Amino acid sequence: MNGRVLLVEDDMWRAELELERLRRAGFEVVHAAHAQSAITKIDDAKPDAIIADVLLSGATVMALLHELQSYPDTKDIPVVVYTDVSDSLSLDNLKPYGVQRIVDKTTMGADALVVALRGVLA
Amino acid sequence: MQESGGESLQSRGMIPPLAAAAHELKSPLSLIRQLSLELENTRLTPEQQRLIERVSLTSERALRLTTDLTKSARLEDAMFAVEPLNPEQICQDIVHELTPLFAAHGRTLSVAQRRHPLLLVANRDLLRRILLNFSDNALHYTEPGTVVHLQIKALQKGSIVRIGVRDFGPALSADMWRGLQQKLAHAPQAIHARPQSSGLGLYLASQFASAMNGTIGMTRHRDGATFYVDLHASRQLSWL
Repeated sequence: MNGRVLLVEDDMWRAELELERLRRAGFEVVHAAHAQSAITKIDDAKPDAIIADVLLSGATVMALLHELQSYPDTKDIPVVVYTDVSDSLSLDNLKPYGVQRIVDKTTMGADALVVALRGVLA
Repeated sequence: MQESGGESLQSRGMIPPLAAAAHELKSPLSLIRQLSLELENTRLTPEQQRLIERVSLTSERALRLTTDLTKSARLEDAMFAVEPLNPEQICQDIVHELTPLFAAHGRTLSVAQRRHPLLLVANRDLLRRILLNFSDNALHYTEPGTVVHLQIKALQKGSIVRIGVRDFGPALSADMWRGLQQKLAHAPQAIHARPQSSGLGLYLASQFASAMNGTIGMTRHRDGATFYVDLHASRQLSWL
């Protein structure tokens, strides 16, 4: 097992695909369909890293990032953001919220999330 | 895009409808692409492999267009940094990126290499998008088995650098091109650059060129056309 990961993705087919890819790569993965669900699941999941889409049903990923920064036991969890709006985001602006990688959903390869995870967990 | 406050930019009227539609299409298109990439890595017959590769390449073309549309909508609000760039390197990157698409259509894309490199002033991403656009246009209007050339030349005593994409397809009539040039200055609409084309890609390329103080244009040939972008040359080399 390479580590525990919380995947936050509201598109169920996309979530299913990425869950399968991450599990094949040896990660233990918990899925949350939106930010509130992720906040609820995080205590039990105790993830080593979080992968999150930005534009989620309901609150955006910012709600989750703010919540993570509010607690000492979650503020250092590395976050990989993967999104269709990567060109609107700045890693420098998101670093204070624990974001270590931004992956462009529109151009990413099949192994992009696995590569990003290995990078932040190294 | 939704902001942390919960109010979307679209609800505040900040994203034009066309760009909003393009944004909404990104998610399903990127899922289609990922599903086909996943299938490409499974055991398939050669025919299945060929078809699924076409699904991937087609979804990538559609994603490029949707990204161009959303970027075009932000041109007035965003600052696009320009820098001295080597156009030949960018052209090589375009060739690398589009070679699978051209090969799948039985065509080739190449860069006409220069003995003396030129530098121009541009935003890397916008210039890349213009050339991807021209190349995509050329792909669909060039004859199978022919080579589409990316060409770089200096004009006006070296003050302007022109990057052209030369295709070998049906020529545009002079009337058609005059109409296109008149319409390029206005909002997106039906621009018939060539038969079967809306001209939307050329409109977007024109917007991107304007954002860099450049222009796009076209030269007609008996056996095709060259679509080009003119940008200011960098004087960086002359300072040395």
